[in-house]
Amino acid sequence: MISYEASWLSWTHYTAIALFGIGLVGFLLRRNAIVVLMCVELMLNAVNLIFLEVAVRTQTHDGILFIIFVVTVAAAEAAIGLAILLNLYRKQGSLELNLFRMLQG
Amino acid sequence: MSKEWLICGAGIMTLASALMVVLSSNAIYSAIGLLISLFGLSALYLLWGSAFLSVIQVLIYAGAIVVLFVFVVMLLDMSRVVQTGKGPGWFTTLLVTGTGWIFSLFLLRALNRGNFAGAIEHKALGSISVLSKILFREYLWPFEVLSVFLLAVVISAYCLARPESLDNSGSDGVSIKGPKGGRS
Repeated sequence: MISYEASWLSWTHYTAIALFGIGLVGFLLRRNAIVVLMCVELMLNAVNLIFLEVAVRTQTHDGILFIIFVVTVAAAEAAIGLAILLNLYRKQGSLELNLFRMLQG
Repeated sequence: MSKEWLICGAGIMTLASALMVVLSSNAIYSAIGLLISLFGLSALYLLWGSAFLSVIQVLIYAGAIVVLFVFVVMLLDMSRVVQTGKGPGWFTTLLVTGTGWIFSLFLLRALNRGNFAGAIEHKALGSISVLSKILFREYLWPFEVLSVFLLAVVISAYCLARPESLDNSGSDGVSIKGPKGGRS
């Protein structure tokens, strides 16, 4: 049995919210496409922390299974995203996000 | 009491290295910050009593995803920085993010109402036997869908990363140029 004060769970929630905020700021502000993908990973991890809090609060295992699913999808997302970035680098020679206007016509 | 300060320390480590991801100008330092941040999250999982999640966090995230990021950062030449145009400014971004942050704080307040005060006694969640029972009974269909999804990811990653010389075999040898058109 593990016993904590409930306020520490709220503190974990604040950590998750701040982590999501940091990831969102990086996602919106950074130009480097690889760093943008890293910030997406940060946001996914913040959501995982929220799922952990749900699992601890409700004393069920569903939140933990959701975390496992999210981790799997995040690994797949990183693989596909980095393959797309490699192809973009072959075409454009750069990974600055505001250079990509191929779909603009 | 000391374990609770460990929770505090793991959270601070996670947030500080997440700031390192966003603020550092070199992409490899961002990858290192992501690695430290994931280790902090793994420590948080361990402190909340699910050791299995902590292990798979280190194995999958730090062992696979961050290594993939480091590979790509090392493969590509990041030094040719081209400064063009302006993105959204700091003010707009902080306004949007701060609005979302305050909204989620209100959400926390709404969640916190009720019977959550006082100490939480909880059993150690996420032992492998319990998790596998739930995963293969109630969550069997999502699990199978996830396996098909991973197969699709493997095929599409191959199609994205293959060199063009495999398509028109013998036209220009083994030159690796990448896809020209919108195929694959």
